Amino acid sequence: MTAQTLTKDAPIAAVEKSALSIIDYSLAYKTANGLIPALQNIDLTIPKGKTVGLVGESGSGKSSMAWSIMRYLPSNAVETGGAIRLAGEELLDYTPYQMMDIRGRRMSMVFQDPSTSLNPTIKLGEQIAEVLMRHRGLTKAQAWAEAEAALGRTGITRPKEMLQRFPHEASGGEKQRVVIATAFACEPELIIFDEPTTALDILTARQILDLFNQLREETNVSALYISHDLGLVSRVVDRVSVIHKGIIVESGSVQEVFRRPKADYTRQLIGAVPDPDRWVGVDAPGEPKTLLRIDKVGVRYGAPTKLQAMFWPTDAETVGFWGAKDISIDVRKGELLGVVGESGSGKSTIAKVLAGLQDFEGKLDFDGKAITSRNAIDRAYRRRVQIVFQHPDASLNPRHRIGTIIARPLKLYGIVPKHEIKARVAELLEMVRLPASYADRLPHQLSGGEKQRVAIARAFAAEPELVICDEVTAALDVSVQAAVAELLVKLQRNTGAACVFITHDLNLIRQLAHRIAVMHHGKLVDFFDRVDARSVDRDPYAKALLDAVPVHAGEPEA
Amino acid sequence: MSWGYLIRRLLAVFMVLAIVTFAVFAITTMLPGNAAIMILGEYATPDAVAALEKQLHLDQSWYMQYYSWVSGILHGDFGTSLRLSLPVTQVVGEAFANSALLAATALVVVTITAIPLGALAAIKRGTAMDLGLGLFSYLGTALPEFVTATLLLVFFAAPQQGIFPAGGFVAPWESLAGFGAHVVLPAATLGLVLMAHISRQVRSEMSEVLHSDYIRAARLKGLTEKRVIRRHALPNSLAPAVAVISLDIGYLLGGIIVVEEIFAWPGLGRLLIYALENRDLPVIQAVTLLLATVYALSNLLSDIVIALLDPRVRYA
Repeated sequence: MTAQTLTKDAPIAAVEKSALSIIDYSLAYKTANGLIPALQNIDLTIPKGKTVGLVGESGSGKSSMAWSIMRYLPSNAVETGGAIRLAGEELLDYTPYQMMDIRGRRMSMVFQDPSTSLNPTIKLGEQIAEVLMRHRGLTKAQAWAEAEAALGRTGITRPKEMLQRFPHEASGGEKQRVVIATAFACEPELIIFDEPTTALDILTARQILDLFNQLREETNVSALYISHDLGLVSRVVDRVSVIHKGIIVESGSVQEVFRRPKADYTRQLIGAVPDPDRWVGVDAPGEPKTLLRIDKVGVRYGAPTKLQAMFWPTDAETVGFWGAKDISIDVRKGELLGVVGESGSGKSTIAKVLAGLQDFEGKLDFDGKAITSRNAIDRAYRRRVQIVFQHPDASLNPRHRIGTIIARPLKLYGIVPKHEIKARVAELLEMVRLPASYADRLPHQLSGGEKQRVAIARAFAAEPELVICDEVTAALDVSVQAAVAELLVKLQRNTGAACVFITHDLNLIRQLAHRIAVMHHGKLVDFFDRVDARSVDRDPYAKALLDAVPVHAGEPEA
Repeated sequence: MSWGYLIRRLLAVFMVLAIVTFAVFAITTMLPGNAAIMILGEYATPDAVAALEKQLHLDQSWYMQYYSWVSGILHGDFGTSLRLSLPVTQVVGEAFANSALLAATALVVVTITAIPLGALAAIKRGTAMDLGLGLFSYLGTALPEFVTATLLLVFFAAPQQGIFPAGGFVAPWESLAGFGAHVVLPAATLGLVLMAHISRQVRSEMSEVLHSDYIRAARLKGLTEKRVIRRHALPNSLAPAVAVISLDIGYLLGGIIVVEEIFAWPGLGRLLIYALENRDLPVIQAVTLLLATVYALSNLLSDIVIALLDPRVRYA
C-alpha cells in the first residue's frame, strides 16, 4: 500500500505540501453494545490541487470520514487516535469555536441532496451571500454581487435572477450549482464532495460532473470526492482509496486500482459495476409471442372531475398534468423489457398502471383479454401480474414475519393447499438464496438486499407470468445490486415469466434487457432492440442518455 | 403572497360565517318550546305572550325571521336585549372589548414567552432545563383551568396575602396599574395551558429542524450558532407553531367563559352565561356569532402569517 508509507514516516516538509493528511486515524461510536469502530487506522493524503476519491458502500465509513475532517461528529463519537492535518495544521487540536472559522472559509462541503441541504425558506442568494459576509467580512451589497459572480461561474445563465428564487423554484441541477457556488465562494483549500450527483438525474449528474472538472481546473482546489460509484469516480479523481468496513483496503492512482486491483474487495466492487457489453440476461424467447400489449395508455394527474367536465368542457384537454401519454409498448412472453428514463419521465406511472394501482385511459391487452379501465382489472390478472417496488422497507409490513409475508399470496390465490404452505415458503426462500430459517424473522432484522429478495420471493410466490420491477436495485449497494439482478434473471430462466424492468441505470439495463423503451416527459421517445442501442437512428434524447453514463471503471478517459 | 391565495381564503371565511349565522339561528330559534313562554315564565297571561311573540317576530315563518335577523346584522342591528333593555350591540360591544383585553394580554404574554422557551428546550435537549420545561408543560396541559384558577387564587389572592385582587375589572384607560393588577391572575390561568401547548409544539418542530440537512449545511458553512438558530432554524419551526396558536384561540374562547366567571371579569363569557340563564335570545345569538367570527378570522390571520413565513405555502 503505497499511499500509507508515503505519509506515515514522511518528513514534515512533505506533509505540508499536502492540502490534507490523515494519519493513522481511528474513530468509534459509543453505543449500548459498547464501542463500535467506524474507522480504523486511516491513512489518506490529498496533495495540493489534486482530487482523491474515497469509494465504499453504505456503512463503509466514508461519510464518517467526511464528518471527522469537518470536525462535525455526533456526541457519541470517540476518536481513538491519529491526526487530521489541514495544510499541516492539526485540526484535532482546534476548539469548536476555532473550527467555526475554518469551516466554509478554508474547507467546505458539497452535499448529496441539494433539495434538503438548502434552507427552504431563505432565498438562494442569501444562502450564498451569508458565507461571504461571515468569512470575508463583505457588506450585504458586496456579498450579493460576489454571489452573483460565483453563481455565474457555475454555468447558471441568469445568476441575478436565480439569486432571488427560493429553493423550490429551482431545479435539482440549479440547486446543486448553488451549493457548489457556496462551497467555492471563499476559495477554500479543500472541498469535500459527498456523493454530489447521486440524487440527480442522469443528464444533470453528467453536467454537474463536467462542472466539477471545469472548476477544479480553474481554481486548482484540492478535493476529496466521496462516492459509492467506481465508474463515476474514475472520471474525476487523480487517486483513489477504497474503503471497506472502516478500513482502507487499497489506495493508488486510478489506473493502478482499476487495472490491477490488489485487494479482493476492490476486485469484487469492480466486478459488480454493470458493464453494458457483458450480457447476463436470459436467452431471448425463440418465437416472440405477445403477452401484454399496452395500447395508447395515458395517465392524467389532476384530471377534470365529472363536475368540471360538465361546466367547463373546453378545459377538458388542458386541465391537469399528463404523467404519461399515448404509450404503446408490447411485452413478449419470457422477455425482459427495460423501461428507462429520468425521474418524472412517467416510467413509474406505467408500472402503477400495469399493477392495477392507477386509473388510466387507453387499453391494455393481456393475453388476448382487453382491459380498458382500472376497475376492469380482475383477480386473475392481479395474480398473473406482480410488482416489486423500489424500497423493500416500505413494501414489507414491518410487523409481519417473513414467512407470513411470503405466505400471503399463496393463501390469497390458493396456490398450494394449506398444509403445504410452510414447505412452499421455505422453497421460495431458498429460490431467492435465503436460509429457510428467515421465515421467523421480522423485516428489520434483514439487510436491504435481503429484504429486496423477500419482496421478489413474494412476487414470484403467486406464480406470475409478468413481474414488474420498479427501480428494484436503486436503493441497494453496487455489489448487492448485481446479485439481485442476477437473481431476477435466474428466476426468469426457471419460471419463464416476463419482466418489465424499470430503472434509470442504463449500464445495468443493457446487461439484462432484450428490448429497451426510453421515456421522457411522459412520452415514449424510443423503443429498440438491445443490439441496436448504438445504432445511428436512435432518438437524440435516448442517445444523450446513453452518452451521459460514465464509462466503465476499467477504461478511464485519457 | 399572491392575491389569489388571499381572496380564496377570504371567500372561505365568508362561507363559514354564512353557515354559522344559519346554525346559530337554528339552534336558538327553531328549538322546540315557545321562546315567549320561556322568557315570561309559565304563569304569563296569553296577552303578554302574544305581545312578546309579536315583538320577537315569533308569529312569522322561520325564514322570515331568519331574513330579518340577518338583514338586521348586516345593518349593524342585533336587536335589543330582552333583559337589559339596551341595544345588543352596546351590551355585547362592551363585553367584547373587555374579553379582548384579557385574551390579547394572555396571548401576547404566552407568545413572547412560549416560543423562546420551546426553542431553548430544543437547543438544550436532554438537559435539566428541557426536562423541567417538559414537566411544567405536562402540568399545564393536564390541569383544567378551574383548578389552576383556584390554585392561583389560594396562593396569590387569599386575604392573608392579598397580592392580587381576587376578581373584578378596571379599564386600562381609567387606571393602567389597576388593570394590570386585575388582569394578572385570569391571564395567567388562560396562559398556563396555552404556554404548555405552544412551547411543546415549538420544541418538537425545532428539534426536528435542528436535525435537518440544511441546518447541518449551515453549520458546515461556518456560520455562527446565533445565525444558525435565528435565521435558519427558528423561522422554519414557527409556521407550525402559528397554526397551533390559531387553533388555541378556539380553546381560548372556551376557556374565557370559565375564567371570566371565576374572576368576575365582565366580558363575553360572563355575558353569555347571564344571557343563557335569563333566556336573552338576541344576546345569545350575537355572542355566539361573534365568537365564531373571531375564530374564523384568527384562522385566516394564521394562514396569512404561515404563508409569510414559508414561501412554499404561498403558491399552494
